[in-house]
Amino acid sequence: MEATFLLTLLITFLASFIGYELISKIPQTLHTPLMSGSNAISGITLIAAILIYPEVGESQILKIIVLIAIAFATLNIVGGFSVTGRILEMFKKND
Amino acid sequence: MIEIILLVSSVLFIFALKLFGRPSTAHRANTFAMLAMALAVFSAFNFDFSKYDSAFYITIVISGLLGVLISKRVQMTQMPELVGLFNGFGGGASGAIAYVELSGNSLPLSDVFVAIFSMVIGVFTFSGSLVAVMKLRGKLSNFNKKLADIFSVFLPTIIVIPAVLEMDDLLIEFIILVALIAGIIRVAVIGGADMPVVIAFLNSLSGIAAMSAGFIVNSIILIVAGALVGASGIILTLLMCAAMNRTLLDVLKGGFGGTAINNEYEKDPISTSPEDVAIQLSYAESVVIVPGYGMAVAQAQAAVKELTNTLKDKNIEVKFAIHPVAGRMPGHMNVLLAEVDIDYEDMFTLEDINSEFSSTDVVIVLGANDVVNPLARTDEDSPIYGMPILDVDLAKQVIVIKRSMSPGYAGIANPLFINDNAKMLFADAKEGLENIIKSFELV
Repeated sequence: MEATFLLTLLITFLASFIGYELISKIPQTLHTPLMSGSNAISGITLIAAILIYPEVGESQILKIIVLIAIAFATLNIVGGFSVTGRILEMFKKND
Repeated sequence: MIEIILLVSSVLFIFALKLFGRPSTAHRANTFAMLAMALAVFSAFNFDFSKYDSAFYITIVISGLLGVLISKRVQMTQMPELVGLFNGFGGGASGAIAYVELSGNSLPLSDVFVAIFSMVIGVFTFSGSLVAVMKLRGKLSNFNKKLADIFSVFLPTIIVIPAVLEMDDLLIEFIILVALIAGIIRVAVIGGADMPVVIAFLNSLSGIAAMSAGFIVNSIILIVAGALVGASGIILTLLMCAAMNRTLLDVLKGGFGGTAINNEYEKDPISTSPEDVAIQLSYAESVVIVPGYGMAVAQAQAAVKELTNTLKDKNIEVKFAIHPVAGRMPGHMNVLLAEVDIDYEDMFTLEDINSEFSSTDVVIVLGANDVVNPLARTDEDSPIYGMPILDVDLAKQVIVIKRSMSPGYAGIANPLFINDNAKMLFADAKEGLENIIKSFELV
């Protein structure tokens, strides 16, 4: 259990580090699509909602709250990627 | 099997960020990220789709369709609002999940703390983002800072109320209430032009909320993706702060700008006409256009493109100088220019173009103000002193297209407007450019 937690922390650290290194190199021109793209990725919390949905049990209120979380996260992911695609398409035309 | 899918998904996310580094490959980055997301979401089902009822699937389909619909309809000038809105949804989702985990299961103590953290950050991101959206739409003026500060001090004490009333089971709800109000107040005191920092910061928070949700449900992919978003948001936040020579704390304290501190001028500016500008431009060899928020407000991108074409047809070199905090979100101006097919090779950052101004014939300042204010270099008492600016005052001639002499966000006079080499064209950005273009046909 201890080792798993440390491993998870290590992964967190490495992911943050890689993220920092790669994102620092992204030019100013692409900062808006970067924001909307990373924004879409933050909707990945949908996974947590999917994982806990079958386990909420009897409570209708909790079930509705998870459904709201699912709606929010899905909107975030789908809308976010779709709009990022639209923005990047405009940069592609310039090639 | 699930592990392999997740491994591929993580690698795809990181590879997507790598591809994001160049405008020519960035559209592929989006495809990679979408694929990574699809794999990650698919893996969460663990090949057992029967565990989920129809309410679940209907919610996913409807909100997905709604997401597509919104994203197709929104205009490019409204991009900051949209990013803010989606951001709030992401944070709200993480907050809601943390709440359900806290009230449903008996979590181990360490997870309780992580869950409370995730819930507070998520809820704060949710309410803060919604206020930011309203601010960007101009629906909300600055909240009284003093009142907000006093309120902020007392805010945390709200969570003792359930203890006093002997309703301990409401503690979580009260924490949510505090986070909700804190998000509203914190963003409400920050002025509109500081929104690039706020949006980037909230973006980072939504990643951190997702990451901590990953710790509660033990999902590595959630942690990795959340950390990537958190890192991206922090980088942009710090870049924006550096571009204003202010600290994040200073921006979040709020109360900056919005009121005129000093808008006195020693002399009257020289006013010019569209005809004169057209003549001036036709004698130039190099022109640099400096777009600001005024261009977005006036929806003047198409007119900018038309003027650029007119000038290029006359073999005049046209470049764009874009300050990092121009507009209402990082890269806002670049997107608006890309929308009208202006080549990203012609868009220059502050570092790349500042040395060129002294050899530029004509600079057109289009709806920008504080980012070209030379006081940032010369006046130590100025609130913008030390902020990196575009040194347009060093150019041979400057034309400022602006509706009036009113100050920018910092609330101070801009001596550029009365510089000997500067002329004012008093007009709305779009209308001003269109009149210049019309005049060209007569030159």
